Amino acid sequence: MVLKLHGFFFSTCTLRVATVLKEYNVPFEFVAVKLEEHGHKAPEYMQIQPFGQVPYIDDDGFVLYESRAICRYIAAKYRSNLAGPTLLPDVSTEVEKYARFEQAASVEAWNFDFYASTAAAELVYNPGYHGIPTNEVQAKKLIDSLNKTLDVYDQILAKQKYVAGDDITLVDLFHITYGNFLHTKGFINLEDEKRPNVRRWWRDITSRPSWQAVKDGLSPSS
Amino acid sequence: MVLKLYGHPLSTCTVRPALVLKELNVPFEVITLDVANHAHKAPDYLKIQPFGQIPYLDDDGFILYESRAISRYVAAKYRTSAGSALLPDVYTETQKYAKFEQAASVEAWNFDFYAANAAAEYIFKPKHGGVTDEARGKELLEGLGRTLDVYDGILASQKYLAGDDITLADLFHIGYGNILQNAKFIDLEDAKRPNVARWWKDITSRPSWQAFKDGAKSTA
Repeated sequence: MVLKLHGFFFSTCTLRVATVLKEYNVPFEFVAVKLEEHGHKAPEYMQIQPFGQVPYIDDDGFVLYESRAICRYIAAKYRSNLAGPTLLPDVSTEVEKYARFEQAASVEAWNFDFYASTAAAELVYNPGYHGIPTNEVQAKKLIDSLNKTLDVYDQILAKQKYVAGDDITLVDLFHITYGNFLHTKGFINLEDEKRPNVRRWWRDITSRPSWQAVKDGLSPSS
Repeated sequence: MVLKLYGHPLSTCTVRPALVLKELNVPFEVITLDVANHAHKAPDYLKIQPFGQIPYLDDDGFILYESRAISRYVAAKYRTSAGSALLPDVYTETQKYAKFEQAASVEAWNFDFYAANAAAEYIFKPKHGGVTDEARGKELLEGLGRTLDVYDGILASQKYLAGDDITLADLFHIGYGNILQNAKFIDLEDAKRPNVARWWKDITSRPSWQAFKDGAKSTA
């Protein structure tokens, strides 16, 4: 049975998974959850995803939620689909590379995504979907913190090609959806010349065919 | 060279990997940094940990930061038959590994997001001369409460958050859970969430936490 990805066609977390599915050439069916009808809060949905969040996958009966967990699962299960190196180091044979991957993943979570996703909520989702006006003071603090993180990224990326080392990993890809969201709306500048290494890295990861294939959203025929 | 964990004995993020080291009986030294005087923001420190945060690990020259990454590294490198379930193997136990990472992701975005920020708002801010934003604090505790309600449902049909074996994901909760519990901002033993209460009592009764609940200590 083909893998099914249940989510919103344009959600950052759904597209994060879709990017990795494309990266690993895994055929999948996109099943649209109806955001406008709060489909993700419906009782039947919450039997499967009890936090009422998107996305989740159903891989021939194996159900999994949390986009980054799904991405790791895809990378583990479909490793042989890749001609080149894996995007998820093998913990049993390359423990230090695995550790650096997890270090970068933790930084992505707490020093990037925490600010980026909260800023996205404050600046776009709250006023746009929930009728809550933006708290400008809070939004500025979040964007300032995000920029401080990017300053550190520029130092790290001066010495290595990607966030976990010289090979691209899932963690680089994890940044794309929220990074793109805030960058295209002008809230941050990932191509700022004052951070030439971030710019180089951003252009590299966003030019990958996997992201290019999903960046405008998913349809059931993806 | 004995493994060195640089941080502060009372910091949740220092205790987090210390617990894992203790679980796996790996001897280590806690090196206390003068965080009160911003030692973690000094230029020499930033050369090692460029975000100016604690802790970091020095395993015979291999440097690693981020408490949950350190925890995973320790669980992987010092894997024992007893401790093997703490971190399922990526490629040979893929579904179990995936469920672990699902639980770890929930811990990050649905627990720690609320718990760490609530602790900052209610406990750490006033300690540093700031004023608690009561509205924000209330929102954070409500979010945490909703997560715990879901946890109670999950833990009704399995012993731990990733399945019937304890994993790092369970242990990751202890630090901030304990801080908020002690200060009475949440009640993890609330009879209205009997499965959470069972789980919380189970994980906090482990010898590793009992050894470090008043602060991480060197074991080397």
